[in-house]
Amino acid sequence: MSSVVRTDSLSKVYIKRRSLREMALHPFAPAERITALHDVSLEVRRGEIFGLLGPNGAGKTTLLKILACLVLPTRGRALVDGADVGEADRRVKQSIGFVTSDERSFYWRLTGRENLEFFARLYGLGRVDGHRRTSELIGDMELGEVADRQFMSYSSGMKQRMSIARALLHDPPILCLDEPTRSLDPIAAKHLRSFVARRLHGQAGKTILLATHNLQEAEEMCARLAVLERGRVLRQGTIAEVTSGLPGRDVYLLVIRGLDAIPRDARWSGQVERSEAGAIRFEVRVDRGGEALSDLFRTILAGGASIAACTRREPSLQDVFDLMESTGGSGAPA
Amino acid sequence: MKIAGILTAFIRRDFLIEVSYRTSFILQLFGIFFLIIIWKFISGVINPEADTPGLEGVDYFSYVVLGLAFFHYLSATITAFSSKVRNEQMTGTLEAMLVTPTSAGTVVLGSSLWIFLRTTITVVGYLAVGFLFGVGLHPEGLLSGLLVLIMTVLAFSGIGILSVSFVLYLKQGDPITLLVANISALLGGVFYPPESMYPWVARLSAFLPITHALRAFRRVLLQGSGLASILPELAALAAFTAVLLPLGILAFRIAVRKARQEGSLIQY
Repeated sequence: MSSVVRTDSLSKVYIKRRSLREMALHPFAPAERITALHDVSLEVRRGEIFGLLGPNGAGKTTLLKILACLVLPTRGRALVDGADVGEADRRVKQSIGFVTSDERSFYWRLTGRENLEFFARLYGLGRVDGHRRTSELIGDMELGEVADRQFMSYSSGMKQRMSIARALLHDPPILCLDEPTRSLDPIAAKHLRSFVARRLHGQAGKTILLATHNLQEAEEMCARLAVLERGRVLRQGTIAEVTSGLPGRDVYLLVIRGLDAIPRDARWSGQVERSEAGAIRFEVRVDRGGEALSDLFRTILAGGASIAACTRREPSLQDVFDLMESTGGSGAPA
Repeated sequence: MKIAGILTAFIRRDFLIEVSYRTSFILQLFGIFFLIIIWKFISGVINPEADTPGLEGVDYFSYVVLGLAFFHYLSATITAFSSKVRNEQMTGTLEAMLVTPTSAGTVVLGSSLWIFLRTTITVVGYLAVGFLFGVGLHPEGLLSGLLVLIMTVLAFSGIGILSVSFVLYLKQGDPITLLVANISALLGGVFYPPESMYPWVARLSAFLPITHALRAFRRVLLQGSGLASILPELAALAAFTAVLLPLGILAFRIAVRKARQEGSLIQY
């Protein structure tokens, strides 16, 4: 499958401006450099939903802003539909729709329709085409009832749908969504996720680049993703690829009869999850590899207890995040 | 054609926002009315001889009303670019515009057009109210006045674009607007002829576009002089334009590139 977005060793270093006071007190001190992205290489395939997952400050927004031509990279390059963001920004902007989570990015005293018609002209649509496209998108986004009301009266969900409508005005093949559900309640967020997955990706065939720190959102929506931490890509691939081979312990859910607590051992740890009829359900973390799991089972059975069920819990993105937290962001290899 | 459509969209946007604040423009016109009355009485108190150097035979009330009207226009020309861009940065709409294929230059120009248009209406308001209170306007000078206006707008736009470069890069403390507006008011012949100041200060006023613009306006609109009488002023304005406009555009391009490098294009 061909790639529509590609970054090669992309880096962004911000140089913090010094105040006059700092310059006067320390005239020869070097300016502080903040690395927002470090050697980021990724490839987004045509027609997929690709996630950029990471905590605040991981570099997700910087990456999207580079792709939207708002920020120039310090090193490396980024191609959008074959066009370099540093050299052909007009072509890049024709190919990309950027959805910000900032509700302020509209004219609050204009109606939704007036806002979209204005931006349609900036996207190069003529007056008639702009009117037609605006009406289409208002219908698609189910904003018909409020389209002629001032933007300031819209709910957060409506504002976010307006933001998506605006990014679709020029019908770009690629959509960049920067934490689109950040300010939405759970129900509105669910509707938006469903709309993006079903309509924009499923029916319209858009390639979607989704920046999020929401693990559930990433697991639910993304075919592939990159996990970013402090500007570096820690892991990328499908969710199975990203979560496979994590160092540490496997997690098992054991339902055991005739046992109140998991026997102590350095190679495993267990805690009661809940009591079931005549049995106790434990969550047990066991060292990966070696004889630890076999020894655990032998110890339980030797004590006269019986194992009614044993399920291995697949590692999740939460485990990747947990690992990042426990290793200060350096423990998970890319 | 596409650019014209985009610029029209900007004017329509700002017009719709303006009319959503129903009373602001009317209140502004009231403000002009009161200002003209105040200057009518001040003029009566000052009442300098018409042959005072620099007045060129024009009565002081007409002199100052024209000075006020066009100083208003010139301030707006300088501040339009930077104030709109700063406003769009703060409201978050600049980012939304800059991710479209429309160039940053067109966005800045389009954003300031409504201010030019509204200020033109305001200047007409100044002249109309002034006319009611006795400003002697020569209608035959209107066409020449229009030419002077275009030359003036071009010369001052260079300064305006320079100031927006400061806003894009430094975010605050645009020193250009403050400096040029205040020095223009002080030395440019808005309230009094430069000839009435110390001779060496009067000589400095020749380096300000407003001095030449106001002299030309007064000659064509208050004295009914022909184009031939303002050729030196037009030449001076053309020279200012030739220097300031390319300088402004160059500074703007550098500022946009630097701001993109620093990631501060939409910060405020």
